[in-house]
Amino acid sequence: MKLARSAALAAVFTALSAGTALADWPADRPIELVVAFAPGGGTDIMLRALAPFIEAELGATIAVMNRPGASGEIAYTALSQAEPDGYTVSSLNTPGFLTMQIGRTLGYDPKALCPIARVVEDPGTFVVQAGSDITSLADLVAKAKAAPGAVSVATTGLGTDEHMAMLQLEKAAGIDLTAIPFEGANEAKTALLGGHVQVIGLNVGEAMSSDPGSFKVLAQFAEQRSTLAPDLATAVEQGFDVIMSSERGMAARCDVPEEIRARLSAAVEKALADPAFLDVAAKQGLPLAYQSGADWTAAMPARLARFEEIFKLVEEDK
Amino acid sequence: MSFIDLLILGFSEAMTPMNLGFCLLGALLGTLIGVLPGIGPTATIAVLLPITFFLPPLAGIIMLAGIYYGAQYGGSTTAILVNLPGEASSVVTALDGYQMAQNGRAGSALAIAALGSFFAGTVATLALAVAGPTLSVFALKFGPAEYVSLMVFGLLAATILASGPVLKAIGMILIGLLLGMIGTDRATGDARLTFGAIELFDGIDFIVIAIGLFGFSEIIANLEGSGSEGVKLAKLTRLWPTRQDFREAWPAVLRGTGLGTVLGLLPGGGATLASFSAYSMEKRMSRHPEQFGTGVVAGVAAPESANNAAAQSSFIPLLTLGIPSNNMMAMMLSAFMIHGITPGPTVLTSQPEIFWGLVASMWIGNLLLVVINLPLIGIWVKLLTVPYRLLYPAILLFCCIGVYSMNNRVFDVVLAAGFGLLGYLFRKAKCEPGPLLLGFVLGPLLEANLRRTLLITQGDPSIFVERPISLTMLVATVILLGLMILPSFRKTREEAFQEEDA
Repeated sequence: MKLARSAALAAVFTALSAGTALADWPADRPIELVVAFAPGGGTDIMLRALAPFIEAELGATIAVMNRPGASGEIAYTALSQAEPDGYTVSSLNTPGFLTMQIGRTLGYDPKALCPIARVVEDPGTFVVQAGSDITSLADLVAKAKAAPGAVSVATTGLGTDEHMAMLQLEKAAGIDLTAIPFEGANEAKTALLGGHVQVIGLNVGEAMSSDPGSFKVLAQFAEQRSTLAPDLATAVEQGFDVIMSSERGMAARCDVPEEIRARLSAAVEKALADPAFLDVAAKQGLPLAYQSGADWTAAMPARLARFEEIFKLVEEDK
Repeated sequence: MSFIDLLILGFSEAMTPMNLGFCLLGALLGTLIGVLPGIGPTATIAVLLPITFFLPPLAGIIMLAGIYYGAQYGGSTTAILVNLPGEASSVVTALDGYQMAQNGRAGSALAIAALGSFFAGTVATLALAVAGPTLSVFALKFGPAEYVSLMVFGLLAATILASGPVLKAIGMILIGLLLGMIGTDRATGDARLTFGAIELFDGIDFIVIAIGLFGFSEIIANLEGSGSEGVKLAKLTRLWPTRQDFREAWPAVLRGTGLGTVLGLLPGGGATLASFSAYSMEKRMSRHPEQFGTGVVAGVAAPESANNAAAQSSFIPLLTLGIPSNNMMAMMLSAFMIHGITPGPTVLTSQPEIFWGLVASMWIGNLLLVVINLPLIGIWVKLLTVPYRLLYPAILLFCCIGVYSMNNRVFDVVLAAGFGLLGYLFRKAKCEPGPLLLGFVLGPLLEANLRRTLLITQGDPSIFVERPISLTMLVATVILLGLMILPSFRKTREEAFQEEDA
């Protein structure tokens, strides 16, 4: 009897609190923004810069919380275990979010996480020393044909953006390159300047923010030229089928009320149009490319299929 | 513009009241987070980065830089007083610094650390001003092959870190190497020794191991000793170092500064590697290596000057090439980028006031830190008179907060506690944790670079002897190995060990 009564009470309280959560959202307590990478990384800096503008749109406070590790799996797992009340959102990055679904058992269900909004799309590039005799992808291909395996490409590990771009180029041009794994883009840049590797893979954002006197960019791997590099030819324009870009945005649990997710998405869209934010984004070299949660979700399966194709090349390469 | 003109330009930029104020603020914040274990400069700067949007570029960068080198000063304080390294780079300072404090010479140790750091900071800042571009060219010559040879040399030198039998030191290095292998293998994407725990996919944090092995195990060991009263400290004799202390510290500071300046240039190296190497070198050079670990002035002076020199010189690749050599410098790069400045050769000529203003502020900041820290020594030392029943819970609390805040997860705290128990067992077995930590730092670097080298040469190992820097270091390794195997050296080492036992 007592048990039944307390259960009933608990049910009432739950219903009440859920009701107030929806009505008051997002003003009664801070929204926790889980960032899947360490403080100071590209995703972290982008979201910390964006957060005040979203706060202004929503009239809410946002607390940024870094949960780095396992390429994002730790943060995504944390998000999937949070209450679906709209007070916990997280960063979402591709290709990481998609490639971890290929042939790996995850601690969370990727289908239970819904994108809120895409903020940037940063195409991959191949970069050489400014004084290099390689000036285009065709030069690179010719060089690799002359000496199979001798051209080294710095990547940041197996199955990363750069590695997948390299595998696509190998397949498209019928050449053999050697991937050299480095800890990060900056180590790779140092190795390139010291002449220890011939080519490095970077994102357009990273490439454009590097010293122009020291580096030369060969191509961008986007479908359309990035706003950051309107004069740089894409790989497809140069005759090679290489498409590789990384996207950064935000996600929430799919069972967060539709209305809340829509408001979050709209707030991001408005923040991205704020001239003050555009100024910050330009200085940080962010290739802004807003997409609503729905559009981004719709585009995911095609991307995943492409990555699955490339991962078959990884297995062949082993 | 001549060098003098540029320096004057720099000082006139750095001495404006606003820039001076932010320099002081950064140095103070840095000292504070340096004292608190686990709360490192990287996380602090990440949190403060958005604030610098609203500051003029130079003021923001001056403040962030101040936090970084300020942390190097603060990190040694708790290492010396309570055997708890505040930063990764002050782990070796604890070896002799804590012993000095136990012998009633905490004041001397803190003063030597502050003065050594100031001297090193001055020299490294001068090196940045005079020879920045030249030094960065040297750093670029360090390819994967050179790293492999440097790490092999470093691992062998690690046996010197311990004062016990060589075999135990080698055992500890091997455990360190094993711990370093935990995590995802970059080249194949396979998980190694993670036992399915996603928290281990990126390996274990250095701070988790250091706080466990040093901080936690120290507390366990002291509790065992005399219960709630704690250990009786030797009476505090004097606050200021003796003339003899200065005489012993001076050459160690010089060598530490040189080594730190060079190692700070190299990507991935930085302050931690510099302090370890300086300590090993000092012990190798000393006529009384057996005294290291019992409270030797040189054992504090060398690593403290090395880590501060490295903290300053790691700015060189960033400012002259636009390439950050470690995570901290990557954050500094973002601070520049926020204001639309791309560091590199172009900025050196087009916006000299940024580069020279920062250089000048770094020297001023070091001066401010000495002024802040020397009078504080008296207060810090009083901390030792706090009863252990109050001090220990406070230390434990700060350690746990620090470890938790790195990745915001309890897993790391539990892991650090496990390392605390392990550290206690090591103490009982008279195995020293220093070589383990060095193995842990160097192992992954050695492995990754060995793979890179052989991938680049497509399996041909002759590159190691063909490249001059690599060859030089391999020869040095062979000489060191020879010295260790030679009967006469072994005898002195054994004698030293017996002396210590007696």
